[in-house]
Amino acid sequence: MSALTIAHIDLKRLAVRPFAWTLAGIALAMMAWQFLLGLSAFMHAQPSAPGPGSSPGFTDAVVAPYLLNYVQLCLVIAPLITMQALAGERSAQRLALLAASGASGAQNVLGKFAARLAFLWLLLMLVATMPLVLAHATHPDWGQFAAALLASALCVAALAAIGIACSAFTPEPALAATAAILIGEALSLIDAGVRMTGGGGGWLSWLALHTHLEAAMRGLVRSEDIAYFLLIIGLSLALAARRVATERERD
Amino acid sequence: MASTPALLELVSVSRRLGGHAVLRGVSFSLQRGDVLGLLGVNGAGKSTTLAIIAGVSSPDSGAVRLDGRDINDDRRAMRERIGWVPESVPLWPELTVAEALDACGRLRGLAKSARKAACGRELARLELEGVARRLCGQLSLGLKRRVGLAQALLHEPDLLVLDEPGNGLDPVQAAQLRALIGKLAPQRGIILSSHVLAEVEAMCNRVLILHHGRVRHDAPLDGPRGQLDARFRAIAAQPESAAA
Repeated sequence: MSALTIAHIDLKRLAVRPFAWTLAGIALAMMAWQFLLGLSAFMHAQPSAPGPGSSPGFTDAVVAPYLLNYVQLCLVIAPLITMQALAGERSAQRLALLAASGASGAQNVLGKFAARLAFLWLLLMLVATMPLVLAHATHPDWGQFAAALLASALCVAALAAIGIACSAFTPEPALAATAAILIGEALSLIDAGVRMTGGGGGWLSWLALHTHLEAAMRGLVRSEDIAYFLLIIGLSLALAARRVATERERD
Repeated sequence: MASTPALLELVSVSRRLGGHAVLRGVSFSLQRGDVLGLLGVNGAGKSTTLAIIAGVSSPDSGAVRLDGRDINDDRRAMRERIGWVPESVPLWPELTVAEALDACGRLRGLAKSARKAACGRELARLELEGVARRLCGQLSLGLKRRVGLAQALLHEPDLLVLDEPGNGLDPVQAAQLRALIGKLAPQRGIILSSHVLAEVEAMCNRVLILHHGRVRHDAPLDGPRGQLDARFRAIAAQPESAAA
């Protein structure tokens, strides 16, 4: 109940913050531009395609890269929207107020995570709406679309969880955002060298975010990919909850 | 016949922060109806004591009991009996006063009807009806303190813990606070901290002087004013080595 209440309070607060609206506006404008570019490239590449059956696929050529772009954008947006979650609240003593009202560390962390995730998923839904409005004309592969959307949603949740963990461990919001961006970028680029040399597999590839997005972007939902994202979410939130729960001993 | 346990009892509470002993074996008790003033210079350990009582900080050793039960036995249940207003009055600046009170009621687990009644009651008691729709972030310090107090009273706690409640208040607001504490005292125990002797004398019926983390004076406020003043000055002038 407390986690839901904290999520409710934080969502209300996000809704009146110019920062959240500005971030959402910039993100949507960038995604709209990228969608138009992708769509334009797709239309130019296939000037004489006879019909939907023989086309290389609107979902393959436009939707999947477009959703991947949103995930890339979230490497920055998620840290920015989560940086205040615990670091800012702690310095303003609002975390202590929540603790005094009986909310546990886990409830605090879950509530704040849920609010940020709702914001990022709402953005994802708006982003996904752009290709959907063309559905009647483009005949998308709904299975592939759903798989790509699921992977994007899970990846965004993982990035939000990392942001919350960084916010729990750092005293300053700016530090939290920097740490979360660095971790996200590290997970994104960790196997860049291996990929450039044409290699694959191995634990470096397994750790990389894109390894677990690629299959879903082709329409294949693998349990190992879901497990990877859930593992990051669980680990990050558990660490954050533990950190917040032990504030009583430190402060 | 067994005696009734004190509403609040601290037994040899010690706390170190950053390698420095902030509290050293602090013991005292508080009965319902008491208004205890925790007096001390900056760094004496007043805020730490209050944070431990409120359950947001934990002692390294010693015990804090509410009606004879350790406050860590059932944290949730114990916290429902305590209302805490820290010195900085943490409010959600993006919420209106009414929304902030409603959110606190939710956090305290009050049902919708009980929450509505409690919010109405506190808005009236703290004379906040006129600013109920204003954002907390736009309030003056005096109003913020009243909203903080309303949040702490929402669940009708048995024990009210106020950290420097008079800080930053103008004389009119300070008089209003004194009157309010006078009205609240009979049904509950109140413990408040201050480094201003006159403030404690005006609001409390008992005073406890903390110095370098130790209780140096604990007595009812019934003697001549000059006597306590002289004692406080004498204690405050003592170096840490003398306190140890």
